[in-house]
Amino acid sequence: MLRPHSLLWHYLWVAPCVLLAVLALLMWRRGLHKQFPAFFSYAIFEAAGGLTVYLMDVSRSVPARTYWWSYFLFLLVEGFIKFLVVGEVFGHLLRSYPPLGKLAKVLISGVGIILVFTATMIAAYANPTSFWLISTTYTLGRSISVVQCGLILFLFVFASHFHLSWRRSAFGITLGFGVAASVHLAYWALAADWLFGQKSYLLDFLIMAAYHVCVLIWFYYLLVPQKVAATSAVSLPENSLASWNRELERLIQQ
Amino acid sequence: MTLAIILVIAAAVALAIILRLAITRSLQARKNPGLFATIRPIDIEAFRNLINPAEDDYLRRRLPPPQFRVVRRERLRAMAAYVQVAARNAAVLVSVGEGALASGDPRVLRAAQQVVNDALLLRRNTTLALARIYLAIAWPSSGFAAVRVVARYEQLSGAAMLLGRLQNPTVPVRLSARL
Repeated sequence: MLRPHSLLWHYLWVAPCVLLAVLALLMWRRGLHKQFPAFFSYAIFEAAGGLTVYLMDVSRSVPARTYWWSYFLFLLVEGFIKFLVVGEVFGHLLRSYPPLGKLAKVLISGVGIILVFTATMIAAYANPTSFWLISTTYTLGRSISVVQCGLILFLFVFASHFHLSWRRSAFGITLGFGVAASVHLAYWALAADWLFGQKSYLLDFLIMAAYHVCVLIWFYYLLVPQKVAATSAVSLPENSLASWNRELERLIQQ
Repeated sequence: MTLAIILVIAAAVALAIILRLAITRSLQARKNPGLFATIRPIDIEAFRNLINPAEDDYLRRRLPPPQFRVVRRERLRAMAAYVQVAARNAAVLVSVGEGALASGDPRVLRAAQQVVNDALLLRRNTTLALARIYLAIAWPSSGFAAVRVVARYEQLSGAAMLLGRLQNPTVPVRLSARL
């Protein structure tokens, strides 16, 4: 069962692509593509690009070099769109909090620069193989994962530190990307160093299953409506409002 | 090999943090009622004295440098404790303000937005102030000003009080111990 080109292997590769195509369609119908254009583009690109790469993998007429070039280009474009999605959810998160806008931009720029520098340093230590295109593809995947994982982690920590409330859909997109980015980072790190050797296909199952879960997370958060919680009156401690107000005004005027 | 292991560990840690923060967020969303009760009042006047540069100058003139550094560090630690409480209060008020944003009453809505904005600014200032305090603890002879935290805290007190009054006119909110 855990073999390349087994039924499970085919399912895990194709199902997320089909699900993302369905998700894109449903987003379009519900008008969500206007709120999240980058994620909408990502869903379409992943569906189309993922299926294309899959067909190239299973087709015997496609030479290995052509497959790896296509996969390399796919990763390049996918990486670019992923960064657009991160920017998009960051924009959504900060939209309701103008006081944090300037600080957030400075921080994310700083974090981004550090992450790009780290990714470049890691890429410089890449493990070359006999086929440079495969090494380059793995190195590219690893570098993108380092930056993406770092940025999403920063988003979560930033929002948590300031107790910002996420919109459900933006939170779901970010959570899915966070899980995917973490698992991808581990995958590319192991794959780039060939630590699993001939058994590296086992990593494919791990990454494909994790990505499938992420697609389901996006489905849940984007399409399942949020339960409206009953809001209860805020209970305040016993005190005298008049004296509170009087003393506060006195303090401010000092 | 070593690099791969480091990256795998980093990925596992990142995943754990992301999942933990995601779960915490879900739990916090269910714990909104009674948040005001978790606010710890602060004696602003005592804090104002603590950060008064004139007092620092006086101590610097009066005490020998080694003793001044000891006293200054003690004062800075006390300052950090105050700022941490202010930061926690600001975090609570962000959540309270967020909860009130769903109100249909435009006055409550405006007050809630004001509380959220002020609380976020205070939270930002407390973060920066804490960084400076810890830096000053490491280097006690340096100058330091946490005046912005105090000013922001006072502004936040006013906004929170207004929101509390609009939501429940019978009982007020306490952010400052002396008030």
